Amino acid sequence: MAQPSGRARATAWGVAATATLAVLIVAGSRKLAHFDAALVGYTFATLFAVFGITYRYVMWLQRPPTRLYWRRGWQVFFAARGLPRNVLTAARRAVVEFAANRFIFVRGKLRGTAHWLIMWGCVLGAAITFPLVWGWVHFETVPGKIDHYRTLVFGIPAGEFAVHSVLAFLIFHGLVWASFLVIAGVMLAFRRRMIDQGAAAVQQFGEDILPLVLLLGISVTGLMLTVSYTWMKGYAYSFLAILHAVTVIVTLLWLPFGKLFHVFQRPAQLGVSFYKDESTSGEQARCRRCDAPYAGATMVRDLMTVERELGFRYELAGGEGHYQEVCPRCRRAMFGLAQSALWASAPKGEEG
Amino acid sequence: MPVPAQLQFFVDPSRCIGCQSCVQACSECDTHKGESMIHLEYVDRGASVQTVPVVCMHCEQPTCAEVCPADAIKRTGDGVVQSARKPRCIACGNCVVACPFGVPELYADRQLMMKCDMCYDRTSIGKKPMCATVCPSQALFFGTREELEELRPQSTPTNRFRFGEQIITTRVKVLAPKTKAPPPLLDVTAAMDDRPEVRHARLRVLGGAPAALPPADDPFAEVEV
Amino acid sequence: MAKIPVDELAITHAYGPHLSENVRGKTTEQPDKLVKTHCCFCGQQCGIQLKVKQNEVIGFEPWEEFPFNRGMLCPKGVKRYLQGSHPDRLLTALARDPSSPSGFRPMAYEAAIERAAREIARLQEAHGPGAVAVLGGASLTTEKTYLLGKFARVCLKTPFIDYNGRLCMVSAGVGNKKAFGIDRVTSPWADMLETEVIWIAGSNVAECSPITTNYVWQARERGARVIVQDPRITPIARTCDLYLPVKPGRDAALFAGVLSLMIEQGRIDREFIDAHTVGFDAVAEYCKQWTPAHTAEVTGVPERSLRAAAELWGQARSSFMLHARGIEHHSIGVQNVLGSINLVLASGRIGKPHSGYGTIVGQANGQGGREHGQKCDQLPGMRDISNPEHRKHIASVWGVEEASIPGPGVDAYELFRKIDAGEIKALVAFCFNPKISLPDSGFVARALDKLEFFAAVDFFLNDTARHADLILPGSLQEEDEGTVTQVEGRVIKINKAIDCPGEAREDWRVVQDLARALGRPHGFTFSGPREIFEELRRASAGGISDYSGITYEKLEAQMGVFWPCPAHDPASGAPTPDNPGTPRLFLPDSYNPIAKGAGRFYFPDGKARFVVADYRAPADDVDAEFPLMLTTGRVVSQFLSGTQTRRIGPLVKQYPEPRLELHPRLADKLGVKDGDWTTCETRRGTITVRAMVVTTIRPDTVFIPYHWAGEKSVNRVTVAAQDPMSKIPQYKVCACRVARAAAPPAYSTKLEPQQ
Repeated sequence: MAQPSGRARATAWGVAATATLAVLIVAGSRKLAHFDAALVGYTFATLFAVFGITYRYVMWLQRPPTRLYWRRGWQVFFAARGLPRNVLTAARRAVVEFAANRFIFVRGKLRGTAHWLIMWGCVLGAAITFPLVWGWVHFETVPGKIDHYRTLVFGIPAGEFAVHSVLAFLIFHGLVWASFLVIAGVMLAFRRRMIDQGAAAVQQFGEDILPLVLLLGISVTGLMLTVSYTWMKGYAYSFLAILHAVTVIVTLLWLPFGKLFHVFQRPAQLGVSFYKDESTSGEQARCRRCDAPYAGATMVRDLMTVERELGFRYELAGGEGHYQEVCPRCRRAMFGLAQSALWASAPKGEEG
Repeated sequence: MPVPAQLQFFVDPSRCIGCQSCVQACSECDTHKGESMIHLEYVDRGASVQTVPVVCMHCEQPTCAEVCPADAIKRTGDGVVQSARKPRCIACGNCVVACPFGVPELYADRQLMMKCDMCYDRTSIGKKPMCATVCPSQALFFGTREELEELRPQSTPTNRFRFGEQIITTRVKVLAPKTKAPPPLLDVTAAMDDRPEVRHARLRVLGGAPAALPPADDPFAEVEV
Repeated sequence: MAKIPVDELAITHAYGPHLSENVRGKTTEQPDKLVKTHCCFCGQQCGIQLKVKQNEVIGFEPWEEFPFNRGMLCPKGVKRYLQGSHPDRLLTALARDPSSPSGFRPMAYEAAIERAAREIARLQEAHGPGAVAVLGGASLTTEKTYLLGKFARVCLKTPFIDYNGRLCMVSAGVGNKKAFGIDRVTSPWADMLETEVIWIAGSNVAECSPITTNYVWQARERGARVIVQDPRITPIARTCDLYLPVKPGRDAALFAGVLSLMIEQGRIDREFIDAHTVGFDAVAEYCKQWTPAHTAEVTGVPERSLRAAAELWGQARSSFMLHARGIEHHSIGVQNVLGSINLVLASGRIGKPHSGYGTIVGQANGQGGREHGQKCDQLPGMRDISNPEHRKHIASVWGVEEASIPGPGVDAYELFRKIDAGEIKALVAFCFNPKISLPDSGFVARALDKLEFFAAVDFFLNDTARHADLILPGSLQEEDEGTVTQVEGRVIKINKAIDCPGEAREDWRVVQDLARALGRPHGFTFSGPREIFEELRRASAGGISDYSGITYEKLEAQMGVFWPCPAHDPASGAPTPDNPGTPRLFLPDSYNPIAKGAGRFYFPDGKARFVVADYRAPADDVDAEFPLMLTTGRVVSQFLSGTQTRRIGPLVKQYPEPRLELHPRLADKLGVKDGDWTTCETRRGTITVRAMVVTTIRPDTVFIPYHWAGEKSVNRVTVAAQDPMSKIPQYKVCACRVARAAAPPAYSTKLEPQQ
C-alpha cells in the first residue's frame, strides 16, 4: 500500500531522528568524555530503535485516516479560543488516562494492575538507563569529598549527595525497583493470559507473549547482575552482563515491530479526544433515512474524504448523496429489507 | 488456531423471529467480556414484527480496518475481522460510522471498540459461534456448505453486497432465493426507501398444485374499528 | 391469618423482585463440571449443559447432541443460569410477622415444619380433612407431582388438590380424552419436517415455544405450507402462507366453517372416517349451519381465506395440526380443541407418516404434571379417581384401603371459591402463583386473606406467598433430579447440578418432612427421586400413561423415552425390558390396553370420536359499553408469573414492563400515541400501561402480556369465566374499553420495571 515516496519520506525522517540522537549523544556526553564504552552495544541498539520507530511512526502517519486525525487533532487543540483550556484538559487526561491508566482498569482490574506496574517499571527503567547509556547523566566523586558524588547532566553539575545516604541507595538501586514493578506486572499479565479464556482465544505469540517474555528477561537478568556483585562477589558477572545486554538489545530492536510500539501510538488518543469533543459538541449529522442524529457532521465529512482517498466508492448512484449519510441502525434495517426484497421479487414457483 | 475454512456462517434475516436469543447468548462468549456484539433490530415495529440480526460480515477488505487511524483492526488469515486490538484502539469511532453493515460499537468508558469476532474463542476450536448455536429459527446458521444445501433447498448463499457504487465481498453469507441465474448481489442501498410489509410470505412450494392464496397485504383491511 | 403483613412496597424492597447480578463479565472462571440437564421453563424442555463451579451455576454451554433442540435455546434458556445465587433466594423458612419491617422473620426449618404440621392438624381436627387444600405446579418434576398427589390423598386425606396446569393444558387434555381416549401429542416434532401442511391455531410459536419455529420452517423449506390462526400477526404469522385473522374466542366456529367447506367439496377421507371413527354424521350435520358467509361474519376471517384454508387442508396428503392456549383459554376451550380434532379426523391424517396432531404444552412438565395425580380428578397413570378399578390398583401400590382414598376434588379456581366460602381453611401451595396467574385476581387475593393457615413452598417469595403465614424454602430445578415429560410426550431426565443453599430443601423432602411431622410418615420415606420414580412406575403400570418400562438409565441412554412404555407387553404379558417407548400414537398395527386390539384409539371399540364442537360466544362479550376485545399472552423473555424471569436482569431489560398493543386505526380513534399511558377497563377493573401502536393486531382487539404483578397484572381485569368441562379460565378474551390515561399510574414512580 505504501507509496515509494512515502517510504522515502519515512526513511528520511528516520535518518534525521537517528542523526539527531547521535549528535545529542556526542554533545551530551561532552564529546564522549562521559560515555561509558562498555555500553556501546546499548547505544547502537537505541540508535537503530530510533530509526525503526521513527520510520514506522511516519509510515503510520501517512495512512489517510491517521494523517487526517493527526491534522485535525492539532487544529482543534490549537484553535485560538480554546488553547489554555485545551492544555489543562490535556494535562488532566494525561494524568487520569496515562499516568493512572483509568481506562485500562475499566477494561479489567487484573489487566489494569498488570499494565500499570509494567508501565511504571518501564518508565522508571528507561528514565534511568537511557541518559546513562547516552552519557547524558554522569556521576563523579566530588574532589576533596571522597564520600560524595556529583551528578552531571549534559556535563553540567546538578547537585551532590553522600555515597552512603538513603538517597544514594535509592538512586543506585533504581533499576532494582523498576524490575520489581515489571516482574510483578508481567506475572499478573501471564496469569491473566492463562486464566482468561477470552484472552487465550485471540492471543498470538509474537504479539502478546514475546514482549512479556522480553521484559521479564530484562528484569530478571538485570536483578541477577545486582545479586552477583552484591552478594556473590561478582560470580558469572560478565556472562550475566552479556545476557542482560542481549535481552535489552533484542527488545529495543523489536520495539518498532511488536506490541510495544503502542507506547508511541497511544498518545494519539489525546489528540483524538479533542477531535471527538469537537464533533460531539458541534453540528450533528442526521440520518438521511430516519433523520436521527448519529455522529458529528465533521467526522462524517472527514470520513467520506478518507474513504475516497482509500478508494472506497460509497457514493449513491446518480450523485444523490453518500451511503455514509445513513445511520448505523438504518443500515442494519436496510440489510434486512434488502434481503426480504430479494425473496419478494423472486419468480414464484421456479426451482433452481 | 484458525477458524476452519469449510465452516461458514450463513444469515437468513427473513427467518428471524426477534427473540433475542442471539443477543443474550452473545454476551456469554469469553471474547466479548459480558457485552453483546450482535445487533437485533426491529425494522419498524409499528409496521411489522420483522426483525433483522446483524453479525459482523467479515469483509474481505474491511472498511472499518482501512479507516482506523490507529491501525487497530486486523483480519486474521482465516478471514475473521477481529475486534480492535486493545493496546492500539483509541476509541475514535471511525469504524462505527464507516461500517456499511453498522456493526462495531464503541465502549467509551474503556476507550475501546468491540465488535463481533465470530466468537473466536469458540470457532477457533471448532465450535459454532454462540448466536448460531442457540438461534431457535436458525436465521443464523454455522456449518458447511453441504449441510446448508441439504437444509435449505430453496436458498442459495451470496456474499456480495452493493452500497452505493461500492461492492463489498464478505466471509459471512446471506441466503437469497435459488434461481437459475448466479447468486444475486444484495443491493442494500436499493432498500433505502423500503418499509416492511405487515405480512411477508417468502417461501414457495416446491411441487404440487398451489392453492389460490389470498394476497399477503393488510389482513385487517376489513375490520371495523 | 393470611393477610399481607405489611405494606407491599416494604416486602418488595426486602424480597424483590430484584435483578440478578449482571451477565457473566468474568471470563476467567472455569467450571468444575458440565451438567447435562434441561431448561427449567417451557414445555419444550430444551437440553442444556450447566456450568457448575463450587456449588454454583456460573453459566451454560449448549448441548448440541440432545435431539429435540440440538443446542438451540431461547433467551430464557440462555439466561436461566442467573436465577441461582440470586440475592432474593430464600435460604431459610420465613414466618409472617407484622412487627418486622419486611413483614417476615426467618425461622428455623425444623420449627417451621413442626408449626405447619401443628396448624394443619389443628384445622383438620376442627373442620375435617377437607379443610386443607394442596396446590401444585407443572414446573415440578413428575416425581414431585406424584408425591404431592399421594401426600394430599394419603397423608392429608383431602380431596382438594389441583395444580396450575389447570390454567394451561386442561382444555386440550379433555378434548384429547374425548376424541382419542388418551391425552398426548401424537408424534415427535421431527415428523413435521416432511409434512405438507402445518396448521397452527392460537399459538405464538416464535415467542412461546421458540424452538418449534425451526421445525415449522424446516418443513417449509421442504415445501410445506403453513396456516396460522391468530388475532395477532406474530412472527410465525408474518411469513405463513395463509393467515386467518380470527377474532379471539371464535375458533370453534372457524373450524366448523372450514370443515363444512371440506365436506361440501368432498375433501374428506370417507374410508378412514368409516373404518376408524364414530360420530361423524352429527358433526357434519352441525357444520351445515356454518356457511362461509356466516363463518366469516362470526370469526372475522374473510370468506376467501376460509376457502383457501379448506383447499389447503383438504388437498394435503400429510399434515400437522398444532394448537395452544390461544384456542384453549376459553370458556369453550374444549369445543375449540374438539373443532380442530374434527378437522384432523375428517382428513384421516392421523397415525400416518409425516402427520400429527397435538397441543404445544406451555409449562416445563405440562405433560408429565397432568398424568400422575396432582390433578383433582386423576390418579397416577392418567387413572380416573372415580373408577373403582383404578382406585384399587393405586390403593394397592400405596398400601392403603381403597376406601380411604378421597374422591374427586375441585379445580384450582373452584378451590379458591371454596376458600372464599370458608369451606377450605388451610392451603399448602407449591410452585404456584395464583395471585398473578388466575383471572380476576382481586378475588383470589381476597380469598387468600380468609385462609386461617397458608404455607407456601418456593425458592423466591412470590406474590401469592406474601399472604402466607409460613414460607418453606424449596428447591430450584437445578437443585434436584427427576423426570419431566416434554411437549412431544418424551420423558426426560433432569439432573442435579448443585445442592440446595442454606436451609432450603428439595421439595420432596419438604413434603416428607411435613408427613413425618404430621405423624403419618408411612409411604413418605423415600430416599430420593429415584425411589419415588420406582413407585411411580408401578403406579402407572397398566394405566394409559404407562411409565413402567422407563428407568433412569434408559432415559439417559436414549436421551428420553416416549410414553407409553410398559414393562410388560400389554397383549401377551411378557416382560419387555427393552421397550424403547412409543414415539407415535395410533399407528395402524398399534395395540393399547383399552382397545385391546380392537383398533388404534384408546376406546374399547378402538375408534376415535367425532364430537360436536358447539360454538358459543365468549362470556363477557363485547357490547356498546365495552366494545373492544382484550386478549392476553406471553412475551418471549418472560415466563408465566415472572417469579423467576422478572429476577433475571438481561431478560427484564429485553421487555421491562407490560405494554398494551393496539392497532394504529384504533389508536387514532382513541387519540392514543405510541408510548402513551393507556388505561384498559373491563367489568372487573382497570389496568394502566404504556401503549404500543402496531399494525400487527386486529383493530378491534388489544393485547397485554400477563407476566407482571400488582397493578401491572392484567389478570386483575380478566374474566373468571371457565370452560364447564376443563375448568380452564377464559384468559384469551373479555370485553374492555381503552382510553388515554389522564396521568401516569402511581406505580410508575414507586416501582422498578420488574416489580
